[in-house]
Amino acid sequence: MAAAVPTASPRGKGRLAAALPVVAVAAIAIALMYPLALLLGLPLAKLRMDNVANWVRLVSAPHALAQAPSDPAAGAAAGTRLAFGGVGPDSSAERSVLVYGGEPLSARFDIIDGELVLEDALPGPLLEWGSALTPAGGGGLIYRLPEGASVEQALYLNGRLLLPGVSLAVERPDGVLNSFTFPDAESGPVLVNDKVLLEGEGFEAEGKHVTLDAPAPFNAVVSRVNGDYAPVDPATGTIVLAEPSGVAPRVADRQLSLGELLVGAVDGSNRVFQLQHVPLVESDPERRIMLDGAELSSAAERPQERVDGERATFTFAGDRGVVTVGGVEVLEGKDFTRSGNQITFTTRPARNAALRQYPDYLVSDPANGTITLATPPQPGSALWAASYTYYDHPACGATEFECFLTMPQHPMPFPHWIAKRIGPFLTAYPLTDSRNVVRATLYTAGGTLTALLFGGIFGVLLAILFVAIRPLESALLPWVIASQTVPIIALVPVLVLLLGKAGVTVQTSLVPAALVGAYIAFFPVTVGTVTGLRAVDPLSIDLMKSYAASPFQLFWKVRFPAAVPYLFISLKLGAAAALVGALVAETESNNRLGLGYAIVGQVQAGNVSDVWILLLISAALGITLVAIVGLFQRFIAPWELR
Amino acid sequence: MTEAPAIIEVEGVSKLFRVGKTEAVALQDADLQVADGQFVSLIGPSGCGKTTLMRLVADLIEPTSGRITVAGKTPKEARASREYGYVFQAPALYDWRNVLSNVMLPLEIMGYSKAKRRARAEEMLEMVGLESFHRSYPWQLSGGMQQRVSIARALAFDPKLLLMDEPFGALDEITREAMNFELLRLWSQTKKTVVFVTHSIAEAVFLSSHVVVMTARPGRISETIEVDLPYPRGTETRESERFFDLTTRVREALREGKEGAEVAAPGPERRPVAKAGY
Repeated sequence: MAAAVPTASPRGKGRLAAALPVVAVAAIAIALMYPLALLLGLPLAKLRMDNVANWVRLVSAPHALAQAPSDPAAGAAAGTRLAFGGVGPDSSAERSVLVYGGEPLSARFDIIDGELVLEDALPGPLLEWGSALTPAGGGGLIYRLPEGASVEQALYLNGRLLLPGVSLAVERPDGVLNSFTFPDAESGPVLVNDKVLLEGEGFEAEGKHVTLDAPAPFNAVVSRVNGDYAPVDPATGTIVLAEPSGVAPRVADRQLSLGELLVGAVDGSNRVFQLQHVPLVESDPERRIMLDGAELSSAAERPQERVDGERATFTFAGDRGVVTVGGVEVLEGKDFTRSGNQITFTTRPARNAALRQYPDYLVSDPANGTITLATPPQPGSALWAASYTYYDHPACGATEFECFLTMPQHPMPFPHWIAKRIGPFLTAYPLTDSRNVVRATLYTAGGTLTALLFGGIFGVLLAILFVAIRPLESALLPWVIASQTVPIIALVPVLVLLLGKAGVTVQTSLVPAALVGAYIAFFPVTVGTVTGLRAVDPLSIDLMKSYAASPFQLFWKVRFPAAVPYLFISLKLGAAAALVGALVAETESNNRLGLGYAIVGQVQAGNVSDVWILLLISAALGITLVAIVGLFQRFIAPWELR
Repeated sequence: MTEAPAIIEVEGVSKLFRVGKTEAVALQDADLQVADGQFVSLIGPSGCGKTTLMRLVADLIEPTSGRITVAGKTPKEARASREYGYVFQAPALYDWRNVLSNVMLPLEIMGYSKAKRRARAEEMLEMVGLESFHRSYPWQLSGGMQQRVSIARALAFDPKLLLMDEPFGALDEITREAMNFELLRLWSQTKKTVVFVTHSIAEAVFLSSHVVVMTARPGRISETIEVDLPYPRGTETRESERFFDLTTRVREALREGKEGAEVAAPGPERRPVAKAGY
């Protein structure tokens, strides 16, 4: 009350200066979202990177002759240099074995700069040709193998070995997603399950990013050819080439190849060997461990008897093998004695312990690629791997940060990712479509304003009744308070059901949202208005009494106007409450309209960015609605806005 | 008090307030007569029943015993026929009304025509020197200006009697003196009868034709002192010897009253403020 003549309001001037801190806080909040996104996302990215189940699986197989010799039947003389597909400069002769048709050869050799140099002469043939592949469409890209050939056999095009290879998509197909990233491929056809898509007819590519014309089916295998070719469908023997060829590739039925020797001493007593590529895929139908020309079995035998904790003697189908109890090897002579196909434990195995006998070998440590043989290989024999599957590298990227960037769902996306999504998200559907977000927002705004209108009127009437008739207040107030303790999430289904019985169809009507909104909006209005009506200065009432004013005049000229600022404060609270009510009602009413429904839909679809956008829209809607109430206040009750 | 027609007659009025189970005597056996055109101040310590007496006259409360006549009617009738205007210690202006419509409020209630209440309110505001503040809201005015609006409002419907309950109590000394001059000017201009409650001896003597001295516990009227200073009064009045004599008399009367007072529980002067809220 100090200023004597404040004719001009100080508002208006410095409005910009007043907005500055608000903008600064928003900027700080947005900036803080970045470290927060990393804080929340990086541990998940690390989990994703460390989990070998998410790694790229590769099959290690013998390296076939890189160039078909001009006369395969002639063999090769000592000193001949041979190149093998996929053999690099770090390959060594000690870890390799020459194989022809599944049989290791005894010819000695050395590997120099990735090329094999024969020290002994090799008798022929070095390669036996099968038939040529038959074109199967795709503009010279797709070919079919001849009858009896498998996709694992070596293929040659113009005498040169073709190397297979695909890059798997980082994203997990959810049935909706149609854009994928292939970390190791920048050209070539795309495979969706066993369907071949060609660039320009099925997808558009931009570097590592590919946009399919149609979304990939849920859980489909989406990959892109990054070798010379990729097998498409083993059942029909179809392959797809990375680049089109007019000449059909040929399949080699047998060819000289370089196999991988297992690491370990072959001295007649050592049984533990290691594979060169780790970690191993434990359950691997591809794994073929060879001892000289024979394949070792990875099968396990179970005892014929139950492991009941009493029994010590068990019978197996075979009379040899590595015996394990609960995955741990037990030793003959120390832990058990063998008599034919019966073994007798010195200490009885515990009840229901897993007792197994591996006749040939056991993968004892898949992480380190260790296998344990039942019988030590004799000196001079070759223990080699014809093929096996291993985990090569994380599919999501080379670093934790790359894995973070390629995560399909971020607990908290970077703000600029959200910002980038706003445009496409808002315009994803035309305005005429009920799925359009602007439409949904307007629908929710309509529901909230209707709720606020009814809640406000009801709240004010109730407040007037309470103030006018005291006993009514003491009778009803506990129930009014109780009404607000009912969780609306439980109330909504009941309400929807009741409305359905009354013939109000939820699908087309604003009524559920308006009713639920009004239900929670009226309470603050009642409380605020009662407070306002009671908070009148007693002097004002005495003054009216001195004028001999009627109770009606007292109410309309003093009590009600005095309560108006309280009413507006409570209407602002009510607007926020009504929005919550309307949103919750929309999530439950299943009418496919409104922001509430959209939020639930995006949460279920896992589109975190879109959920954030919807949150921001909801917040903006709430602020707008409160501002609208404030605007009304400016026109109706300007005196309180000092 | 001599002279003709008495506008307020208070005869043997007592007021008891019930506080829980005990009763407090706010006013005991009060007799007072105020003649038409007088300016009467009620002065006394806190709890002496000044405000209670005013509220009894205004029919805001009812006496426990005794008889009150206001303009020849019962207080109830007097209130119904709007015989008095009341000015409270606080301006009690309505925040949602600007200055002009605050002054028009009583006229609205009394059913004056729109044109008439506007003309009347403008006249009153001019009289208190606020003609250029019609559109201002109460919160934009100083305390003194607010109280002037409040006086304009009390005079708007031209009551015979102006009851003023410590109207300048919340003002600073400088404003208060200015308001005293203003009030005397208004009084001589409108020829109203004024009953004025105050805590200030100087103010009472300066303004009044009669000072009624009251004592506390129980509240009662101890003495009425006639102030024979000539009107119009000005700064020189405050500096005159007679003024000092009279203030000294009032002060002595207050002191005597205090020494003679019995010990009793003080009565509440104001009703408790009703606050609602959950």
